[in-house]
Amino acid sequence: MTPPARPAASVEPAVPVMSVVPTGPAASTAPAAHSARVVIAMTVDLAEFDRALGDPFDPAAPLSFARSAESDRREEFPAEMCQELDRLGMPRLYVPVEHGGALARYDELLAALRLVARRDLTVAIGHGKTFLGGACVWLAGRPEQARALGADIVAGAPVAWGLTERGHGSDLLAGTMAATTEAGGYRVQGEKWLINNATRGDLICLLVRTRPEGGPRGFSLLLVDKRRLPRDRYRHLPKVLTHGIRGADISGFGMDDCPVPADALVGVEGGGLETVLKALQLTRTVCTALSLGAADQALRLAVEHAARRGLYGRTLVDLPHVRRTLGRAYASLFTAEIVSVFAARALHTAPEETSVISAVAKAYVPSRADELIMTCGELLGVRGFLTEYHEHGAFQKLDRDHRVVGIFDGSTFVSRHALINQFPLLARCHPAATADPAGVEHAADLTAPLPAPELDRLSLMAQGGCGLTQGLVSAARDLRALAVAGHASAWLAGLAEELSAHCDLLHEELAQFPPSSQFAPPEAFALARRFELCFAGAAALRVWLHNLRSGHDELWLEACLVHILRSLRPAEMPTDEEVFDRLFDALRSGASVGPPTTKGVR
Amino acid sequence: MHGSELAPMEPSLRSWLRERVAHYARREPADIDPSVSLTNYGLDSVYALSLCGDLEDHLGVVLEPTVVWDHPTIEALIAHVEEMLGGSSRRMDAG
Ligand SMILES: Cc1cc2nc3c(=O)[nH]c(=O)nc-3n(C[C@H](O)[C@H](O)[C@H](O)COP(=O)(O)OP(=O)(O)OC[C@H]3O[C@@H](n4cnc5c(N)ncnc54)[C@H](O)[C@@H]3O)c2cc1C
Repeated sequence: MTPPARPAASVEPAVPVMSVVPTGPAASTAPAAHSARVVIAMTVDLAEFDRALGDPFDPAAPLSFARSAESDRREEFPAEMCQELDRLGMPRLYVPVEHGGALARYDELLAALRLVARRDLTVAIGHGKTFLGGACVWLAGRPEQARALGADIVAGAPVAWGLTERGHGSDLLAGTMAATTEAGGYRVQGEKWLINNATRGDLICLLVRTRPEGGPRGFSLLLVDKRRLPRDRYRHLPKVLTHGIRGADISGFGMDDCPVPADALVGVEGGGLETVLKALQLTRTVCTALSLGAADQALRLAVEHAARRGLYGRTLVDLPHVRRTLGRAYASLFTAEIVSVFAARALHTAPEETSVISAVAKAYVPSRADELIMTCGELLGVRGFLTEYHEHGAFQKLDRDHRVVGIFDGSTFVSRHALINQFPLLARCHPAATADPAGVEHAADLTAPLPAPELDRLSLMAQGGCGLTQGLVSAARDLRALAVAGHASAWLAGLAEELSAHCDLLHEELAQFPPSSQFAPPEAFALARRFELCFAGAAALRVWLHNLRSGHDELWLEACLVHILRSLRPAEMPTDEEVFDRLFDALRSGASVGPPTTKGVR
Repeated sequence: MHGSELAPMEPSLRSWLRERVAHYARREPADIDPSVSLTNYGLDSVYALSLCGDLEDHLGVVLEPTVVWDHPTIEALIAHVEEMLGGSSRRMDAG
């Protein structure tokens, strides 16, 4: 149920769109397995939010391509566009309901961020960073600290997250910014660099060394409120010029023997690394929405161009390889979207597993989007290269902007390494299927209301392994049973069985794989990539199986499985890709083909 | 009585842990000194968390994954596990 329609977008809404709307009583009945837990059946009105952002082709709209191009060209922070998001209540989605915001469901936060990213990635990254800045406090902060931060964010205060330093990127334990205890609090010395919102942010959550020898218990988090610091003891480092997200405030923050009050500590002293690693499970999941937004836009531009462009007496879209390429790109977007939505829902239904799921999502979704954007760029030809023509150069901008998504907040390599760290567990748990299957089914059934997120259940290791890949055998069996009963095609069931066999084989290889700690060999990264593929295919299959009410549309699932299998099959086994032609033709004819995850965002 | 139950476990737990650490570090168990921090054997702090799952399976207990961060040597881990098991059976006695 949605709130009453609001007046046209250009009229300032009296109430922020992002207010929590309780839905009807029917939606609040929890499935039996979760009946003991609080169920959040609240929702924000995404369609209204999108409408309020305005028509992106209208230069005067709150978030338009023209405005975006202008701030990008000037390398200026898109302050006005961020204010529009503030006005619409977007910051409320960065704050969990229990701390005074509207964040009840992570899938909604992702969907809203995707809608913004689709228009302007710089705005989405610059504005959305506040969620990343707050995440550690939602996980480990004191209740009054979290409430105060929530109030600041809702009022529009940007928050930064300072992990990285000039000399050290991904290696969090190498950080040298240090805090020493003194009466009433800490003294902090050091610099954080390449920090989004470091200058604009009123607050910054810093990872600091609190034991000289460092180590996993040698770091702590301080939520520093610049407005309470002596002005002569901290510095902003100059804006760093970047290839993409040129308008963003990428700068740094230095502290010179700066006093920080004791109540700035987030969680316990020595708990910094643990909290950051858990927060990254949330933020890596959320970052996948940035990739989906960029991919949506890239594909739209490519499809529209292909439909319009005349060549050799035909339109581009009638060339067989163009059809095939676009159909494949849709299949790729669908699987990426499913992984992202599944990961967001799993934060609610299987928080014990998100150390695996978030790593898969952050490795899989941005790299798929990178590929898709490259493909679209090829189809756009010179139009993907010009900065002023073709919707104000929207493509070349998103192309540059998206590059950073696979680099920050844990690069693709770092995410794969996080997965490699859990290989021993994954291998051990797979044959016995030790994870709780209910968490997977509940995440995949998009109509099931989500239980409130219980962040204290996040864990650094998925002790029961990964329920989704463990359950692939039974999912394939369920599809076969449907095929036998005449409700699905035998061909589709065969694809699912092939994927399941790959997944079992992969786990046998994982079990044989020699342990690899600090310096994982290249082979481990190849195994991680195969795990991601099995995971993505399993997610697509599960989403199909658990949403049959919305129709037995086999086409999207077939396309997703073929898309996955072509990367898993040995080179000597070529893949027949004609399903991508059928998918593209169906979409072109206006048929509503696609996974149910797409609802509300297309 | 609990002491006598735990006593024989301790040496076998030590050799079992040395074997596990040696496996992850890809060395010989004899090379693993139980009083030396696991990071010295190249066990990255996150990778070392794998040990927790093994230990849970081996002992049939539930542990915090970060147990190896708070007790970073084999000796410290054994002391912690003994205290935990001893502590819980004492509580059971009291109840
Ligand atoms: C636009 C932008 C915004 C940013 N915003 C923030 C912010 O708000 N807060 C913040 O703290 N940081 C921020 N950063 C920093 C960013 O998160 C780090 O730069 C990033 O984590 C990686 O560091 P690095 O590129 O210096 O690579 P390094 O860590 O030096 O790595 C070099 C290479 O090794 C690979 N690598 C690293 N570790 C492993 C591993 N374990 N296994 C395999 N390969 C590995 C990397 O993928 C990379 O290819 C931002 C960076 C940019 C560009």
